[in-house]
Amino acid sequence: MTHELLNGLSFDEAEQVLKLGTRLIVPSGTELFRLGDPADRLFLTERGRIRLTLPMQVRGREEDIFVEERSPGQTVGWSALIPPYRFTLTATAPLLEAVVIALPREALREYLAANPAAGYKIALNLAVVIGHRLQMFQTMWLREMQRTVEVRSA
Amino acid sequence: MEMLLMGMCVAVFGMGIAAVAFGAATRSESSDSAAQPALSLVKADAAAHFFSDRVAAPPAVPPAPAWSVPIEVLLLQIENHVRMEQAAAESFVAYPTQALLHSKTSSPFVN
Repeated sequence: MTHELLNGLSFDEAEQVLKLGTRLIVPSGTELFRLGDPADRLFLTERGRIRLTLPMQVRGREEDIFVEERSPGQTVGWSALIPPYRFTLTATAPLLEAVVIALPREALREYLAANPAAGYKIALNLAVVIGHRLQMFQTMWLREMQRTVEVRSA
Repeated sequence: MEMLLMGMCVAVFGMGIAAVAFGAATRSESSDSAAQPALSLVKADAAAHFFSDRVAAPPAVPPAPAWSVPIEVLLLQIENHVRMEQAAAESFVAYPTQALLHSKTSSPFVN
């Protein structure tokens, strides 16, 4: 299993990072974290999928609306490294159980500080993850705006 | 002779007055009869439809919402729409062009 957050790290460096974490089983339909929860752990998906949702009012009631799905190897919950350290989405294991590695923020920070070369690579990998999310959502936002403008101009 | 002329003048003057009076009476009757139905129509119309000349709507009773699709189907449509938009966004992010940015979606949620 290769994790996007550990790209470019040597085998030993990756092992050291993974040893900081705890393997968690997320049963089907169970929440890994909820929007607004304190974000003190970062998750690396090992098996199954993690479904990310946001609440939306649909016909007068609140529904969790699908936003994104994370596959094995992908990172979930980078809010743990970004102030104000609160999750901005809700993460759930959908139909099948998922397995994730939970990396505590403090332990990860200490490792990054003690191993700046590995820390640099992890920081770059994290920038790729965050940058991809930004690019995706600015594109989707613009497409929705374009549709709104077309409807209003019709 | 003078008496005869004076009598004729008085008679002509009287006939003139009578003619004027008759004309005035006849004119006022005809104008009243022409205006009255219109006034009564306007009044009746105004009473039935205050701001509009269209047929008045029945008393406002909020209709019970009749959704065309069940909420489960709607949520599924939303999810499929998001997935299709993500695929479109992935294409744009991988190879950014204006055409890909504004490519039309076939998502039934917005079509």
